[in-house]
This record gives sequence, structure tokens and C-alpha cells, in this order.
Amino acid sequence: VMLVLYTGYVGLGAAVLRALERPAEVRAAQHLLQQHWELLANHSCLQGPTLQRLIEDIIQAYKSGITLQGNTTSLSRWDFSGSFFFSISTITTIGYGNLSPNTSAGRIFCILFALFGIPLNLVLLNEIGQLMLLGVQNCAHCLEEVFHWQKKTSLLIKTCALATGLLVFLLLPPLLFSDKEGWSYEEGFYYSFITLSTIGFGDYVIGINPDRTYPGWYKNVISVWILFGMAWLALVIKFCINFLE
Amino acid sequence: KAMCSGKLQTGLLGVGYFIYLLAGAAVFQALERSAEKEEKIAAAQMKEAFLQNFTHLTVAEMEQFMKNLTEAIQNGVYPVGNESQFEDSNWDFSNSFFFAGTVVSTIGYGTLRPKTAGGQIFCVFFALFGIPLNIVFLHRVGKMLSLLCKKLGKFLHEKGMQKKKIKFLTLLFFLVTGILVFLCLPSLFFQITEGWSYSEGIYFAFITLSTIGFGDYVVGKQPDRHYFSYYRTLVAIWILFGLAWIALLFNL
Repeated sequence: VMLVLYTGYVGLGAAVLRALERPAEVRAAQHLLQQHWELLANHSCLQGPTLQRLIEDIIQAYKSGITLQGNTTSLSRWDFSGSFFFSISTITTIGYGNLSPNTSAGRIFCILFALFGIPLNLVLLNEIGQLMLLGVQNCAHCLEEVFHWQKKTSLLIKTCALATGLLVFLLLPPLLFSDKEGWSYEEGFYYSFITLSTIGFGDYVIGINPDRTYPGWYKNVISVWILFGMAWLALVIKFCINFLE
Repeated sequence: KAMCSGKLQTGLLGVGYFIYLLAGAAVFQALERSAEKEEKIAAAQMKEAFLQNFTHLTVAEMEQFMKNLTEAIQNGVYPVGNESQFEDSNWDFSNSFFFAGTVVSTIGYGTLRPKTAGGQIFCVFFALFGIPLNIVFLHRVGKMLSLLCKKLGKFLHEKGMQKKKIKFLTLLFFLVTGILVFLCLPSLFFQITEGWSYSEGIYFAFITLSTIGFGDYVVGKQPDRHYFSYYRTLVAIWILFGLAWIALLFNL
């Protein structure tokens, strides 16, 4: 039930943000394109100040999430899939920032959306974490009964669970990323950790490279990975803290 | 006596936290600074070459230039202005310290980020130990503040107020003062120092304190503004207390 509510909430946010941001994005992209063509038409008369201005405009546009790619601009950042991913990055507090609301209405909505979304996210992660913990404990009980081991199993099981989690959430995904995104293994690992710890710099983001095609299931699988990975990492950190205190 | 040792522990933790950030800042600086300088030089050279030759360039070469320019900007190198740009680095000590803080608090703006492989790996391990440290520290500070709250509550209770009312009032009090001190007042401050509008300031404050940290608005990054020396330190202190306030709210 929680999961349905969560998905619904994220979807709602995505739709609203898309409606708010898309028109402004289209306008800004058109403006930049126009400048680009003007420059190309007149480049024999280019001077220092004009170049300076062009650079500043490209910087400005880049900050708004628009880059020049050949003859077009990297538009459709705020299509539904992009907005959905943005909503997730907001309520998980990852906050990549490669895409961020430019209209003032979009920003206000973003604040309200996060205000309710972040607690929702925390509750869901907590539930997923509890489920995982329960699963591990059940495994431990099963093994205890089958093999008649004692208290040592608890530590063994916990280490096993930690190692599996490490493999699934941090060590294997970079392989997927190096295939689909063309990153090196180290970059994929860096991205995985920065995402799951919710730091989310935004220097590496999946699925935004315009020169690559991604299968339909890609972004959805990644979203699921993010959710479960965050829950797992939160559990690990909780254990770390309990250990420290 | 337990209270005393608790305070001492928290104090030590705070000092340890601060030292951890300092150490991280130094390492990041060492790892990233030279790579950044090289990129800046390359971008400036590209721009110079362009300006020298633009009359002879074909359309294809122009396109290539634009592409290179975009890539440079994506890497955080802005080839505007002249030679003096080489002196201010993105990775001088105060910026590296700020960066270390954004990693450990999981805000992660992303305007400044490690580009060398060594910097990235170090960042992962730095965060692996820094984030629990940060959480424990904030937890402690939140607890201390909530103890203060309880004292206040006791005082009011002795004056004859009901417990439920006290709890409600203290919650309300901290919520309101917190919003004022951590959201409304800083936005006014940023209006002056950054030239943002009031709503942009609130947006920035919220996105920062919730640790989302998009990075579309970051303090101290406007190239044409002059900031007084301890600006970023002041903002860092504000962030720390704001996060502690949120931790307090969770405890209440």
C-alpha cells in the first residue's frame, strides 16, 4: 500500500513540474538556438565582446540545463520521464541538480512537494529496511534450525547480508553503468555511492547522454535500485551509529 | 555528573567533527587543484586560438569550438574574464572546506566536485565515515537542545501549566523561531549579499537545509560580486545550526 501511495505521489509531482517547467524550457532553448545561428551567420565579423557575451549566455543556458548539441539543443529534459526522475531525486533528497526548476511557480511547488515528500520517503525507506531486516532474521532462524548452530550464526548472517548488499548495490551496478553509460568502473562506483548516500552531486547522472539509447526498463530498474539501495545503506549506517554509541 | 560528561563528549565530538572536515578539505585541495589549473589553462588557450583565427574558421570548426566550450563549462571551467581568473581557484582552502561540509551533510551541491579519479575515490571513503559522524554529531546536538526544552517545560509545569499544553507550546515555539531564524532571516541576508529575490532565498534555504542541494543556487559563486572574508564560514555555521534545528524537531 505504501509503495502505491509513494509511486502515486511521485507521479503527481512529475506531472505538475512538467506542466510548470516545459514551456519556459522551450523558450530558453529557442533563444539560445537563435543566438547560435546568428553567430554562425555572422562569424566573420565576430569580436571579443560578442564572444564574451556568447560564452556567458552558454553558461547561463547550461545552468538552466540546456546545452548545445550540434544543430539542436538537448531539449525534453522536462518530459514525463525526466520530471519523474527529478521528483524522485527531490524527495529522496539526492538532488542531482542537473535538472532544477527555473520558473518561480516550479520552485514553490518543489518546496511544498518536498515538504511532504521527504517524510513520506523516510517512512517508506524505514519500512523497506524493516522488511530487509526481517528477511535476514528469518534466514538466520532457518539456518539455526537446519544446522543447529548457536549465537555465532547471527554474526555470520549479518556479515553475509552485508556482503550481498554490497555486491548488489555497490559492486555490480557499475558494471551495468559502464555498459549503458560508458563510464569506467571507478566512475560507476563513485556514482553509485554518491547517489545512495543521497549526496547527489549531479556530475554523473544516468540516462541523460543524448548520444546513447537506453532500453525502456532502464530508468525504472534504476529507480527501484535507488530505493532499495538507500534503504540498505541506511540500515548499514544505523548499525554503524549503534556501534559508535 | 552524567550531564557533564555528556556535554564533554558532545564537545569532543564537535571538535573531532571540525578536524575531520579540515583534514578532508586539505586532501581534496591537494588532489584537485592542479587538475583544475590545467583545465583552466586549456580553456583559455582554446578561447585565444579561436579569437586569433575566427575569420579563417569554417562552420564545422565553429561547431567544434562550441562543443569544446560547452564541455569546458560542464566541467566547471568558465573561460570568462582575463588572466586574473587563474589565481582564484575553486579548490582553495575555504572552498575545499565548504565542499567537505557539503559531502558530510549529504547536501552535495555539485557545483564543485572532484574530477580526478583519486579525488572521487577519496570522496567516497571520506563520506563513508563522515556521514555517520555527521549524523551522530547532529543527533547529540539535537538531544542537548531537547534537554533544554525539557527544562523549560519543567519550569513552566511548576508554574502550573498542563503538560499537554506545554508540549504543544514548546513545539510551536521552536517551529516558529526556527522558521524565522533559519528560513526568513537568512533569505533577507542573501538578498543583500547575493542579489537573489526573497523567494529565491527561501528556496535556497529550504533546498539546503533539507539536504537536497540541487546546486542551482549556491552561496559565494557569483563571479561579479565581492564577498566579505568570512562569508562562507558564516553560511556554513548557519547550515550546521539549521540542520541541528531539524534534528531537534525530529526529537520533539
